[in-house]
Amino acid sequence: MKIKLTSLFVKDQDKALEFYTAILGFIKKTEIPMGEHKWLTVVSKEEQDGVELVLEPMAFPPAGVYQKALFEAGIPATAFHVDNVEEEYQRLLKQGVVFSMKPTSMGAVKLAVFDDTCGNNIQMVQV
Amino acid sequence: MTYYQQQVLSLKKAVYPNDDLAVRVIQAKRYIDDHYGSVIDLDAMAREACLSKFHFIRSFRKHYGRTPHTYLKEVRLAEAKRLLQKGIPIRHVCFAVGFESVPSFTRLYKATTGKPPRKTSKKAIPDKKVPVAIPTFIKKIP
Repeated sequence: MKIKLTSLFVKDQDKALEFYTAILGFIKKTEIPMGEHKWLTVVSKEEQDGVELVLEPMAFPPAGVYQKALFEAGIPATAFHVDNVEEEYQRLLKQGVVFSMKPTSMGAVKLAVFDDTCGNNIQMVQV
Repeated sequence: MTYYQQQVLSLKKAVYPNDDLAVRVIQAKRYIDDHYGSVIDLDAMAREACLSKFHFIRSFRKHYGRTPHTYLKEVRLAEAKRLLQKGIPIRHVCFAVGFESVPSFTRLYKATTGKPPRKTSKKAIPDKKVPVAIPTFIKKIP
């Protein structure tokens, strides 16, 4: 068994694709139309054969309730590693990204949390 | 301030109250990241953090969830994988990432990744076929 995928529920797949590629810098890996929605994945530019992030349509109402509760509490839906949280924070701020937690040290790691505009908080981690 | 941020700050206060210690541990981790290709021992790592060996091991584990030795092995094996995928021979990779014995490197690599180094890249150049530069004077001998 291998971990090849991880997923995030997003309110709008097209908007999510735009945010995750144009703002965050990921690359679209797979896009397969599936009726009203699609199978949509992105990968890191630095690890294009790495784990794929599935941008999953929010088509199951209870998931929306859960997502909303997490978002309002500021809890990240997932986390991405970066080399330098402070630099990424400044880069994303310039692109208009909204942060609910500015770069914060916690032991040997540094964290920051931003809004992906699709219903999720995303945490950046520098180890 | 969000609920999550409050939790982060509260955990930080409870688990990592000493910022200076974190800085020292990070310094030692960077030392490992920069010197994994050399023979580095616990004394050198602890010295980098300005901590006694026992305090250093405890602190490193508390911050990174693994011992410095385990972390060093992880860094070496990750770099070994990268070099093997480029087709660099096993023996060269073994010594380039700081291991001192090919059999122990091969054993550890297999135990960690689930396959022997030779299977990491199909394009890997076998050790015996590594092109060796022949000195010019030898080529001239009839």
